Amino acid sequence: MSDASGRELALDVRGLTTEFRINGRWYPAVRDVSFALKRNETLALVGESGCGKSITALSIMGLVPKANGRVAAGQVLLDGRNLLALSEQQMEKIRGGAIAMIFQEPMTSLNPVLPIGFQVAEALRYHTDLSESEAKARALELLQHVKIPSAARRITDYPHQFSGGMRQRVMIAIALACNPRVILADEPTTALDVTIQAQVLALLAELKAETGLAMIFITHNLGVVASIADRVAVMYAGDIVELAEVGELFRRPTHPYTEALLASIPRVDRDAGDLKPIPGQVPPITAMPAGCRYADRCPLREPRCTQESPPLSPLADSAEHFARCWVRAGTGGSAA
Amino acid sequence: MTVAPATRETGALARFGTALRRHKMASLGGGIVVLAALSAIFAPWLSPHDPLEQDVLLRLAGPSADFPLGNDSFGRDILSRILWGGRVSLYVSTASVLIAIVLGGAIGILAGYVGGLFDRIVMAAMDVLLSFPTLVMGLLVVAMLGPTVGNLILAITLTAVAPFARIARAPTLTIKERDFIEAGRALGFSNLRIMIVHILPNVIDEILVMASLWLATAIRTEASLSFIGLGVRPPTATWGGMIREGFENILDQPLLAIFPSIAILVVMFGLNMLGDGLRDTSDPRLRHE
Amino acid sequence: MSGVLLDVQGLSKSFTVRRGFMGGALATVHALNGVSFSIGPGEAFGLVGESGCGKSTAGRAILRLIEADSGTVLFKGESVFAADTGALRRLRRQMQIVFQDPYSSLNPRRTINQTLSEPMRVHGMGSSTEIREAVHAVLGEVGMPSDAAGKYPHEFSGGQRQRIGIARALVLQPELVVADEPVSALDVSIQAQILVLLRNLQQKRNLSFVFISHDLGVVRHFCRSVAVMYLGRIVERGPIPGIFDEPLHPYTRALRNASPVPDPAAKVTMAKLEGEVASALAPPSGCHFHPRCPHATEICRQVYPPWTELGSGRGVACHLYPPEPTGAAPS
Repeated sequence: MSDASGRELALDVRGLTTEFRINGRWYPAVRDVSFALKRNETLALVGESGCGKSITALSIMGLVPKANGRVAAGQVLLDGRNLLALSEQQMEKIRGGAIAMIFQEPMTSLNPVLPIGFQVAEALRYHTDLSESEAKARALELLQHVKIPSAARRITDYPHQFSGGMRQRVMIAIALACNPRVILADEPTTALDVTIQAQVLALLAELKAETGLAMIFITHNLGVVASIADRVAVMYAGDIVELAEVGELFRRPTHPYTEALLASIPRVDRDAGDLKPIPGQVPPITAMPAGCRYADRCPLREPRCTQESPPLSPLADSAEHFARCWVRAGTGGSAA
Repeated sequence: MTVAPATRETGALARFGTALRRHKMASLGGGIVVLAALSAIFAPWLSPHDPLEQDVLLRLAGPSADFPLGNDSFGRDILSRILWGGRVSLYVSTASVLIAIVLGGAIGILAGYVGGLFDRIVMAAMDVLLSFPTLVMGLLVVAMLGPTVGNLILAITLTAVAPFARIARAPTLTIKERDFIEAGRALGFSNLRIMIVHILPNVIDEILVMASLWLATAIRTEASLSFIGLGVRPPTATWGGMIREGFENILDQPLLAIFPSIAILVVMFGLNMLGDGLRDTSDPRLRHE
Repeated sequence: MSGVLLDVQGLSKSFTVRRGFMGGALATVHALNGVSFSIGPGEAFGLVGESGCGKSTAGRAILRLIEADSGTVLFKGESVFAADTGALRRLRRQMQIVFQDPYSSLNPRRTINQTLSEPMRVHGMGSSTEIREAVHAVLGEVGMPSDAAGKYPHEFSGGQRQRIGIARALVLQPELVVADEPVSALDVSIQAQILVLLRNLQQKRNLSFVFISHDLGVVRHFCRSVAVMYLGRIVERGPIPGIFDEPLHPYTRALRNASPVPDPAAKVTMAKLEGEVASALAPPSGCHFHPRCPHATEICRQVYPPWTELGSGRGVACHLYPPEPTGAAPS
């Protein structure tokens, strides 16, 4: 499975739409989301709460809560297989195997009453046919690989005996156990101290370089995005509003939301002058406007914006940089 | 007449009202309770006969046109006695639960808020009270102090205080860690104000759920004590006393025991349904209205 | 130079905790150890550090929401710790707090009007009409519509609740506000809104802030000077932006380098600091930072570095900058 340039694709998401039922009606939380994740690439999904980034990850993993949610449309292709069409049994083989997920809060994603060595080995035993002793040995290797100090001694310790940063490393070890091709990391460093975050991000970068795995990294922090991503997808109210290579995105933020977001973040390395907050709020999922969902808050708003929702189009001078904006990126090929 | 402690929070009652409307069982239970309360309050007008009026000729008579539920061993109208008996049951249970709520609630909130040694001593005292089964406590009090309505209420209150203290203390422990409590202290509020104005309204939901369940327990306790002869003295009509009489005459006229039993059963059923419904619909759902 | 509004000297606080599951040994956590700084009127002072450094404890100790073990806090020359109940109540009007979690900082059972008017009623600040008007005024000041007064907290978003929390801190007309991570729990775009609001309020009311945060970017934007804390002590203090552009203490430097910046080119300079933040239960001997410090020497392992004042408001506790008896300050 490869893209136009021939680079192999790890994951191909096409037209993903996930809906939730509120008061009897279905509303899309993620709308027509498409992106291709190449091998050995880190794609950052960035946006604020409610933009749909976590739901996108859950949809890919088939973990959307069934009570009120459903994936209404789209395909998620892994090696040509559509994950959304698989049965739960088949998905269980994939989760933790070909695709692994890392969550934000390691204390709740690790079982507090089981030693960490057991939890790492468990993932191994479920997805491979290693014997118990082989799995234990491999678990120790993995814990050392993620730089848990004195791993041999601490392999029988419980999650509460570790700090937040260490627990997150354990999570990473579990995720890596079965050599996944894709890792979905949902805000893995948000709950960590800044210096610990830097360590974990560096660790992830190293592991990625070693194993060639692809990563989808979900965060709300543009600084973290700049540190770790190769490509960035900015999400707003369930849509991808901008998609570009990381340097390009920060050099030329094109969608007004991306631009406004960057202008509203205070930085430690330079004076921000006056912060320009984005006026207004994200519309509630039950009252999304027709047309562009950002139009309400956008200084470039034109009449067309409130009538029709723009498609995600390439910019005139950059085929790899996409924006969902009538004004800045008309239907591809318009004069810059 | 559901127990609704005087609260300035019309918010709380309104919440429960909406919750009840959604939860069928609770509404049914609530309906039964209201019916029982009304019939007890209006017993003097609803009773076809004087509950104390005897008529030897009608001894142990079965249901008839004039006496729909029949007559007891003194020829008194069972229906009227059940209505009037309800007054005693409801009065005793409501009074004791109300007092227990106020006392137990105060103790629980105070202990939870103050914490430390005070908390441990108070809760140890509560544990002592809790170790007395309701009936045993009733026996003790009535045996030592005499079988008056007041003492009955005292007995039941004593056993109910500890559970209410517990149920008020638990949420107090979590609530007092929340920022708005610290904000109150930063704003110069006294501890008393914080406990009454800020902690209590957040604890009331749990208390009210407990209240309806405890009313059922109180009714049962009163009936049990009357049954063994330690309750309100005859000839006052009480459900427990009527069951005792019926017990003595069970071979001649079983209905004598059955009707008051049904009355107790129905009211307790209603209260339990109400309590379960309130518990199911309280807190998280209400918060997201 | 304007007078000093808040003067903190030698603030210390320890907690005893029980280690182990049931019973177990007692251990002491030195949450604060000799913290000192001062703030002038209308000044925003930052307290930064990672979890466990004691910044939140310091904020609360200043307001006497936690009783410190030792040290003094002088507010306009008056001792906060020595104040009796009445004096403390008076002082409380002038020093307020804004909390981090907008979902925990408002009583869910009270309307906004009740929450905002209660402090004024308790302190006898006017008739009911005056109080009602004051509530509407402060709601306007924080950018909330007046009809918010009759609603309950759950009807508002996180950002709006934070505005209400700020309004509550303002109703008593304080001169000092301790802001404990006031924007950390908010979305990025809402953060900016609240920061702008706080800045406007500061200018309008000449408020001083003790601005507690782990986010250096936010602190750089909002504060005039900052103290960096590590395991209960201040390791460096200085004016902004100098302290971030040229940090002296290795920890300050590490903190700054590790703070993510929205610039892919900056990726390269993100120095990786090895090791965990040491446990507050068993802080390392000597300088607490020495196990992680690239410049640690023998003396660092043995002796806690003394505080060195370097002039122009900068100070640091590090053996790399020993106090010069001759008064010449190393740059």
